[in-house]
Amino acid sequence: MATLTSAASGTPEAASGGTGAGKAGRGAAARRTDSERLFNRVTLGVLIALALLWLVPLAWAFATSVRPPGELATNPTSWVADNPTLANYREVLSAGRIPYWYVNSFITAALTTLLSVFTASLAAFALSRLRFRYRRPVFLAILAGVMIPPQLLMIPHFLTLQATGMLNTYWAVILPQVPNVVAVFVFKQFFDGIPVELTDAARADGASWLRIYWQIVMPLSRPAISAVTIFVFVWTWNNFLWPLLAVTDPQMMTLPVGLTSVQDAFGLPQAQLMASAVLGALPLLTVFLFFQRRIVEGIAGTGLK
Amino acid sequence: MRMQGRRRFLGAAGGLAAAGALSGCSSAVGQAFTGSAGPPSLLNFWHPFTGGDGAQLVAMQDKYRKRRPGTDLKSTTMVWGAPYYTKLTLATLGGRPPQVAITHMSRLPTLAASGLLRDISRSELAEHGMQASRFNKAAFRRAHLDGKLYALPLDTHPFVLFFRKKIAEKAGLLDGDGELKDLDGPDKFLDAMRAAKEVTGVWGGSVASIKDPGTNWRIFWTLYRQLGADLVADGGRKVVMDVGAAEEALAYIRRMTAEKLVPTGIDYTSSLTLLTSGKAGFLMDGEWQLPAVRDAVKEDFGMRTFPRIFRDGPYACAADSHAFILPAAPSEKAQRTERSLAFTRAMLDSSLDWAKGGHIPAWEPTARSDAYGDLRPQADYASAADGAAYDPAAWYAGADSILYRRCAGAIASVQAGRARPAAAADAIHGAVRELAKMEAPV
Amino acid sequence: MSTAPMSTARTTTARTGTAAGQAARTTGSRWTASGMLLPFGAFYVVFLLGPLVYTAVAGFFNGSLVKGGLGDWVGLKNYAEAFGAPEFWSSLGNTLWFTVLTTVPLIVLALALALMTDRFSRGKWFFRLAFFAPFMLPSSVISLLFMWIYADEIGLAQATVKLLGGQAPPSWLGDPNWAMISIAAATVWWTVGFNFVIYLAALQEIPREVHEAAAMDGAGPWQRLRLVVVPMLGRATTLVAVLQLVASLKVFDQIYMMTNGGPEDSTRPSLLYVYQTGFTDSRTGYASTVSLLLFVIILLISLVWFALIRRTEKEA
Repeated sequence: MATLTSAASGTPEAASGGTGAGKAGRGAAARRTDSERLFNRVTLGVLIALALLWLVPLAWAFATSVRPPGELATNPTSWVADNPTLANYREVLSAGRIPYWYVNSFITAALTTLLSVFTASLAAFALSRLRFRYRRPVFLAILAGVMIPPQLLMIPHFLTLQATGMLNTYWAVILPQVPNVVAVFVFKQFFDGIPVELTDAARADGASWLRIYWQIVMPLSRPAISAVTIFVFVWTWNNFLWPLLAVTDPQMMTLPVGLTSVQDAFGLPQAQLMASAVLGALPLLTVFLFFQRRIVEGIAGTGLK
Repeated sequence: MRMQGRRRFLGAAGGLAAAGALSGCSSAVGQAFTGSAGPPSLLNFWHPFTGGDGAQLVAMQDKYRKRRPGTDLKSTTMVWGAPYYTKLTLATLGGRPPQVAITHMSRLPTLAASGLLRDISRSELAEHGMQASRFNKAAFRRAHLDGKLYALPLDTHPFVLFFRKKIAEKAGLLDGDGELKDLDGPDKFLDAMRAAKEVTGVWGGSVASIKDPGTNWRIFWTLYRQLGADLVADGGRKVVMDVGAAEEALAYIRRMTAEKLVPTGIDYTSSLTLLTSGKAGFLMDGEWQLPAVRDAVKEDFGMRTFPRIFRDGPYACAADSHAFILPAAPSEKAQRTERSLAFTRAMLDSSLDWAKGGHIPAWEPTARSDAYGDLRPQADYASAADGAAYDPAAWYAGADSILYRRCAGAIASVQAGRARPAAAADAIHGAVRELAKMEAPV
Repeated sequence: MSTAPMSTARTTTARTGTAAGQAARTTGSRWTASGMLLPFGAFYVVFLLGPLVYTAVAGFFNGSLVKGGLGDWVGLKNYAEAFGAPEFWSSLGNTLWFTVLTTVPLIVLALALALMTDRFSRGKWFFRLAFFAPFMLPSSVISLLFMWIYADEIGLAQATVKLLGGQAPPSWLGDPNWAMISIAAATVWWTVGFNFVIYLAALQEIPREVHEAAAMDGAGPWQRLRLVVVPMLGRATTLVAVLQLVASLKVFDQIYMMTNGGPEDSTRPSLLYVYQTGFTDSRTGYASTVSLLLFVIILLISLVWFALIRRTEKEA
C-alpha cells in the first residue's frame, strides 16, 4: 500500500527511479565480478528482446496501415510496404466518424474527471479535516464502495438514465462514472499528510472551511490532483462497457465504442481497420510519450481499481 | 413533453459546464448534451449489410441521394447478428433510434411485441404507393403482429442448392436443355450427390456443420417443415414439437454424412471452398453466397430451390426476409414518417439492384418484371419465396438467436455421428421446452 | 456551491472564536461536513449504492428491459434457473479459466521484467515505454490489433508459426480450444505494464544497503534476487495478485469484441452472460440475479483486498 500511495503522498521520487545515487551505487556493486557482468549482459539481451517483442503488435498495425489494399491482398504478412501510403488514414478520417468520436471521448472524459476530482476531494477534505459525528462510519461506508464493481450495475444504470431521458447524451456517459471511491481514498491520504497547523492557523484567522479547502489545501495537493486526474481520465477515456450501453447513436459514440461498433458497407479493408486502430491509439499514446513519468506515477499511485 | 423540458435544462447546464473549454462549440456537441434529434432533413438508417450486399446497398442509396437531395441520409453499417438487435433495442429504448432500420423478419415478432416499432397504416401505405398487393404475400403476411403492419419486406432469402454445372454434366444430372434434372424425394437427392461424388472423387455435396449454428438450423428447419411439423405456438410459450418428425429429419441429415456424400466437421468458409474448388458438386447454403460463388467460378455454377425431400407438408425451405422498420421515436418530429416511407419506397424501387446480390425481391413489380426474369441464376430459384419457412415466432427465436445456439449442438452431433437422431430430437425437444418455460421478456 | 455553506461556516467560527484548532474542528462543522459530503454522497447513492440494492431486489422479479419496471414477483425462480442453467456454470468456468490463464503470467512476467529492468539505471524509460504503453490503449484498439494478428490464413500469428516450421497452426480465435488462450495472451500483452510499474516502484523502496550487504556476504546476483529481493516484494505480490484476480473476474471488453463469447460459447465470461441475458434477451430480472451472484463471488475476493488495505493503513 505504501508503495502505491507514495506518489500521491508527497514522496514522489521514491516511486519512479529518481534515486539516482542509489542506482549508481548498486551499479558499482554489480560490476564487481565477471559472472556479474555476464549475468547483466544476458539480462539486458533478454530484456531488449522482450521489449522489442512488446512493440510488435503496434508496429505491425502501423506497418499494415500504410500499405495500399492491393499490396495487402497479394502478401498479407509482409512488414514492408513497397509503396507506403497515407491513403488509408485519409479514407478513414473522411469517411468515418473518428473526428466526432475524438471530441465525444474528450468531452466525456474531461467532464467526468472534473466532477470526480471535485466531488471526491471535497468529500475527502471533510473526512480528513472536519470532526463530526459518524465520521468514521461514513468513511468506512464510502470505502466499502470499492467492492461494488460498476460493471455489474449496468442494468440499473441503464434504467435510471432511461427514466430520466438522458440516454444518448453526454450525461449518460458521464454521470455513472463520477463517484470514484479510490479517488476519495487517495485524496484523504494526501490531506491527512498536510500539517494541521496550516489549516488551524487559517481557521483562527476566520477562514471558512470551504475557503481553506479551495485556497489552501487544494493548491498544496497538486501531486494528488494530478495523480487522480490522470487515473480517472485514462480510465474514463478507455471505458467500454458503459458507453456501449449509454450511447447508441453512431455520431455520439466514444472512441473505444465507435471503433468496433460501426462498420463500413464494403467491409473495411484490413489496412483501413489498422489505420483506425492506430488513430484510436494515438491520443493517449502521444500524451504518454510526453508525460511518461507522471502518468506511470499517477497510475501506480492510484491504480487500486 | 416533460422529457423535452428536462433535456433542455440539462442542455443548458451542460452548455455552462463546457462553455470555458468549448467556446464556439459546434451544433453537434450541443446536441450531444441535449439529446435533440437533429435537423428535420436528417434521416438515419441502420443496416447490417457488408460485402456483396453492402456494395449493392451503397449503389441504391446513391440513387436515392441523387433523387432526393433535400434529405441528409446518414447510413450506418452495424456489426451483424445479435449485437445488431441489441443495439437497435437499446437505441429505441434510449429515445434515439434511427428513423429507418433493416430487420430480419424472423426478429420482427419480438421487436414488435416489445413495443419498439411504429406500426404503418393502410392509408400511409397507399399514399406512397405501397399497397399490400405489391408485396410478396408470404413475406407481407409475416410482417404483421396482432393485425398491425410493422415492416415492409425488401426480399426473401431462402436456403437453396448451388451446383457446379460441369460436375453435374459429367455426372449425367443435366437434361437436354442443360437444366438440372428432378432431385425431389429422399433417394433422388442422395443419388445425385453420389453421382457428383463419382466425378469430384472427394465429396458429393457440402454444408457447414460446425461453428455456424445458422446453417445447422436451416438444414434442419427445411426438412422438418417439409414434414409438415411445427415447433412452438402462442408466441413461444407452448411447445407443439413433433419429435417423430424431428427424428426423421435428423435421420435424413445423418444419411448424407453416413453415406459419405457430405463431409463432417467443416465450417462455413470451408463449405463454400469445397464447392468453388470442385471438391463437391453441390452446396446447401443461403442464396446470399451467389456473389462469392460467382467471384470464384465465374459462370460454372447454377442454383435451384432446395429439393423437396418430403411430401408430408407443402413445399418448405428455411427462409427469412430483410425488411424495413420504423423504430418508435419519442416524437412525431423525430419519427419523420413521411421521409422514412419515401426512402423505403425508393429503396424498393431499386429492388433489381438488390436482387443482383442473390435475394428474391419482395417487391412484386420487380419480382414480376422481365428484367428480373432474365436475371440468372436468380430467376431459377425465385419460386422458393412461396415456400419460405420462417423461424418460429418466439422471443428466443429468429436470426442469430438462442434457439439456433441451443439446437445447433444436437444437430451437429447427428451430422458428426456422435448422437443418434432419436437422442438429438429429444435433446432439441428438451431445449425448446426449457426456453418456453423461461420468463418471457415480451 | 454558493454562499450558503460559507456563511454557515463563518457564523460557526464567530461563535467559537479563535479557540484551539481541535475545538474549532469539533463544534458546529456538522452542516459544513454534510454540505461537503453531499455532492459525492449523492453520486454515491444514486450510482453505486442504489443500483446495488435495486439489483438485489430485481433478482426476485421477472423484469423485462422492453416492458420496463420491476415486473412480477417470481420469488427464487431466477435463482433456480441460474443454478440449473448450463450457460451460467459454463460462463463462470470460462471466467475462471481466463483468470488462471492471465493472473499467473501477469504476475510472473511482470515480476521478471521489473527485476531485470531494475538492474539498469539507463534506458529505463525505453523499457517502461515498451511494456507500459499498451496499458494506455483502449480495449477496442487491442481487439482490432489482435483480431488482425490472429486472423486465419492472413494473420501474423499463423504466419509466424509456419515460419518456425509449424505445419497447421490452429485458428486462434476460431478454435474452441485455442480462443481463450489467444485472448489471454493478448490480455497479458495489454496489461502486464501495470503490474510491471507497481513492482518497479516496490523495488525502488528496497534500500540499497540490503543489496550491498548481500553482495558483501558473497551472494551472487541470482541468489541475491532469489533470497533477498523477491521475499521483500511479498506485499506487492499479494496486492497485484488480488487486483488481478478481481479484474479478471470482470473481464468483458476484449472478449465481447474479439469473439463475442464464441466459438460455441467457449469464451463467454460471466459478465458477457449478464449482458446477453439482460440486454440481448431483455430479461433484466434474470440478469440481475446473475449479477448479484457474480457480485457475491467478487465480493469474497474483494474482502481479502479490503482487509489488506486496512492492515496497511494501520501500519502506515
